[in-house]
Amino acid sequence: MAVTTQIEPRQVPSLGALINRHYSLVVSTISVLVFLALWQISADQGWINARYTSTPSAVARAALVIFRTDNFFYHAWVSLSEFGIGFALALVVSVPLGLVLGTSRSIRLFVEPPLMAMYTAPRLALLPILIVWLGIGMASKVAIVFLGAIFPIIVNTIAGVRDADPRLIQAARAFGATRLDIFTKILIPGCLPAILMGIRLGIGRGLLSVIVGEMFVSEAGIGYQIMTYGQGMQIDKLLVYAFVVSIFGYSLTLAVKLMEDHIRSWRPAS
Amino acid sequence: MSQIELRDVAIEYKKPKSEERFVAVQGVNLSIEKGSFVTIVGSSGCGKSTLLLSMAGLIPKARGSIRVDGREVTGPGPDRAMVFQDASLLPWRSVHGNVRFGLELQRWTRDDMNERAARFTRMVGLGSFSDYHPHQLSGGMRQRVNIARALAVDPDVLLMDEPFGALDAQTREVMGDELLRIWERDKKTAIFVTHAIDEAIFLGDRVVVMGKNPGHIREVIEIDLPRPRTNAMLDSETFIEYRKRLRDYFASDMQSMQMVRDVA
Repeated sequence: MAVTTQIEPRQVPSLGALINRHYSLVVSTISVLVFLALWQISADQGWINARYTSTPSAVARAALVIFRTDNFFYHAWVSLSEFGIGFALALVVSVPLGLVLGTSRSIRLFVEPPLMAMYTAPRLALLPILIVWLGIGMASKVAIVFLGAIFPIIVNTIAGVRDADPRLIQAARAFGATRLDIFTKILIPGCLPAILMGIRLGIGRGLLSVIVGEMFVSEAGIGYQIMTYGQGMQIDKLLVYAFVVSIFGYSLTLAVKLMEDHIRSWRPAS
Repeated sequence: MSQIELRDVAIEYKKPKSEERFVAVQGVNLSIEKGSFVTIVGSSGCGKSTLLLSMAGLIPKARGSIRVDGREVTGPGPDRAMVFQDASLLPWRSVHGNVRFGLELQRWTRDDMNERAARFTRMVGLGSFSDYHPHQLSGGMRQRVNIARALAVDPDVLLMDEPFGALDAQTREVMGDELLRIWERDKKTAIFVTHAIDEAIFLGDRVVVMGKNPGHIREVIEIDLPRPRTNAMLDSETFIEYRKRLRDYFASDMQSMQMVRDVA
């Protein structure tokens, strides 16, 4: 009995300790709640016109309706496939290309100018052309996701390879490393964090591309639904779809960030 | 016959963005006996590291010949292993993985790799740290890994480029003792570059003194101190004599530097 009472305070940390440990989580949660409350109250009090802004409660009700009756999973599946295929293609092309461009100066000099021009150009402006080429179905959206995601990954991979520590390469050479050894044992593990950072940026670009692509011209998908509800002034339903996209994007980005942090753990915090 | 023969070696760098060439080392002749410990000492910019890197096959020479066991050095080879000034360890690999690195590159069998990596990690006193990563180690420990990595590949010649240069004085002394203890076991030929006079005398059978503009050998001093070396020798008459002699070289280097500054 005495033992259990002694241990108990340690097993159940005080509220203060809990807040300390999860400080950032607590603060961000409060921030979201305050925002939602302000939104709801301002609409209820008539400070803002709920017709244009909707309210959190209306959005929550709309979410229930949408998840049950709006063919939500079909539209989500369309968008997810477009994003998934486009992003996978981007990964398959960009990582090897970035590795090659990072290693070879002459290839880089040859390919970099058009690459950089593409990187800085507003690629969404290519949508009309892509639709002429590929039609209004999934293919044009896959293409635009591909174009959106590929460049941040290439650019970061190149930077990662070029940042490789020349002292490590020299050490490897001293032990008789071949070019392939240097590639697989130094360059690739060394630029993994940079590649992941590129992937993280690419996710954001890719999601933006799929939604805008669907809003522009399409037959289905989350962007298509957003466009439909936007034209019908159904703000609450539009916002449900927008939230779904941002939650998906946020979780995916966070997952990659955690992976990145894990891989970077061999580096002292900087 | 000596194991390492340097004949009239010259090393040049191309200056960046010009056709001009910079002569780092010129007219170096040196013979090194198998199993001896040779230290190369000189002030910074005298080309001592350049010369060592050239022996490792990492920097091409402009003229002359460098032979190890009669074979001309044309690139890195398994007969030589290098210990660098900064530990240059792979940050994403553990101590064990880093010691294994050289063995992997030289295509040892899996069993040999693991056995030797573990053995040499223990030899440098890091047995209980084999799962640590470089950023968790002190500078001295990192250099132990660096040395273990070089010894693990069983080289005939151990080339060390100011391996203790970045360490504090105390750690440096301990590492010197340790290095000699390990070296005494199988007396591999060792070439050790340093700018610290005491270190050069304490470790070496012979001290090669280099001067600069361009880098050249000024004198080779035989160190007549018995082995194993002990810290007590640091205060012996002989040691102090050697120290004085080497200091004079450095002093004249400093003077010429001063003159250059005055002219400028």
